[in-house]
Amino acid sequence: MIRSFQFQLRVLWRRRVLLVTALTTLVFSVGAAALVLANATDGPAGLRGRGATVAGLSEAGGGTEVFLRGASFTGTFLFVLFVGAFAVDFGRGTVRTMLLRQPNRIRLLLGKLAGLLAYAAAWLAVAEVLTWLAARVLAPGQDVSTTSWTSLSAIGSGLVDYVTVLAWIAGYAILAMAIGVLTRSVPIALGIGLAWSGPIEHLTQNAWPDAVRYFPGLLLESFVAGGTAEITAARALLTVSGYVAAAAAIAAVTFARRDVTA
Amino acid sequence: MTSTLPAIELEGLTKRFGSRAAVDDLSARIPVGKVTGFIGPNGAGKTTTMGMLLGLVAPTAGGGRVLGAPLDNPGAFLPRVGALVEGPAFWPGLSGSENLRSLAVLGGHDVSRVATTLEMVGLGERGGDRYGIYSLGMKQRLGIAAALLGDPELLVLDEPVNGLDPTGITEMRRLMAALAGEGRTVLVSSHLLSELEQIADWLLVIDRGRAVYQGPAAELATGAQISVQLLPASVTDFDKLLEVVAAEGHEPRRQGELVVVAANGDEPRLVSAALNRAAADAGIVLSEVRVDRPNLESYYLAMVEGGDK
Repeated sequence: MIRSFQFQLRVLWRRRVLLVTALTTLVFSVGAAALVLANATDGPAGLRGRGATVAGLSEAGGGTEVFLRGASFTGTFLFVLFVGAFAVDFGRGTVRTMLLRQPNRIRLLLGKLAGLLAYAAAWLAVAEVLTWLAARVLAPGQDVSTTSWTSLSAIGSGLVDYVTVLAWIAGYAILAMAIGVLTRSVPIALGIGLAWSGPIEHLTQNAWPDAVRYFPGLLLESFVAGGTAEITAARALLTVSGYVAAAAAIAAVTFARRDVTA
Repeated sequence: MTSTLPAIELEGLTKRFGSRAAVDDLSARIPVGKVTGFIGPNGAGKTTTMGMLLGLVAPTAGGGRVLGAPLDNPGAFLPRVGALVEGPAFWPGLSGSENLRSLAVLGGHDVSRVATTLEMVGLGERGGDRYGIYSLGMKQRLGIAAALLGDPELLVLDEPVNGLDPTGITEMRRLMAALAGEGRTVLVSSHLLSELEQIADWLLVIDRGRAVYQGPAAELATGAQISVQLLPASVTDFDKLLEVVAAEGHEPRRQGELVVVAANGDEPRLVSAALNRAAADAGIVLSEVRVDRPNLESYYLAMVEGGDK
């Protein structure tokens, strides 16, 4: 699995991918900081699931709360990105090339997942720092105080926010892995990923608010938002963990057993 | 490397896709240290067989051993096998050498072999170029280089000369012969026997998933029948010519406008002369008399098209 992990990182670690990722991270960080701060309303702190407030953002964890809230808007984008990353090896035939070097299919799949998550984790850290810096610059314009953003407590909040976003991304990555492995086709996988995480879940939620308790994408959104009126973050995490475990098992069994014929 | 056990041994290997048998009860032994041509028409089951040999496709029935390890445990033999199946597949954003280095890491191979393998396949100067801009022939060469990364005992190559120009094909033949000369076993597939005729020591010919010949390449055509072909100047003499040939003790058969006579081990030139004389005595003018000595390719074609062996 370590060789598969190293291999995945080598494939990602090239100039073009790094440049695109860096640029995307920069745009996201500045954009997220601007949007979250601009939309902060007057109101009490401590209601993370409801929307950013000036009071809440002025607390110790306010700087990284901007990052957390900004990340929560990118769920569909990240999901589709992971779906493509898994499906492309089937469409391009590179899964065959990999299996000739690593015949243990579970190790190969886990190594790829770990490699993608490690890459995401590194850039997530960069994004958190950049978002914090951008927010620090923009906050005074929105009457958000940043005096407690550099306290020890702020660092603790920053770590919690980082782990929350990382867990949220891991959930999307594993669900995406299952879709990629099952469909083995980039266009089909992307179509399913986009349709499911976008219109299907959200339209259903509009007609049936309780969908947020059952649909994996909505559960992940609720988790990263720190809970909603319908479901707590802990409950959302527990429920979506079941989906993620099932998706991982289905992906692993399918990948281990299915013929690789193209 | 063992010299007594076959490199590959298959016993009743079968793969069904629904009701269709792609490989049907295939049993074969591929000797160590030789170039084995794996020949069959398109759709004969070559790639599926290779997929099963490499752990990519699970057999429906049967099994076998590769380099002494059971087929259902590819982890035990794949580190000693290099393969190119179903065409080369790499990461287009990486250069040729970056692709190989990455695969060397994945396979636990010596990364320092990358430059050597690129040189071996003639990509030494183009290894730094992005794979995405490679020509078909260059991609094929990189596929061979990847197969050689682990310094394998057994090479399994599926149609390796696809996309190569005539010079590339000649170089590839030389490379395969050189690899076999180093004591490696090479199993190379093609739907054209002529592509492998010059380098294969051993042949495994399959058709519709079944082996129709396996053995030394030199012996494939020994059972082929040399025949004498007669073309009468006038088509009205055709039936009369058949009678004349039969009267000479042969069993003639029609093949278009020709009367074909099997030499049956006799010297074909003497048979030709005797038949020519008999035809002339009967007042038949022959516009052509020729001896047909089937080559390996025509014998193979007759074999897979249902002709007599």
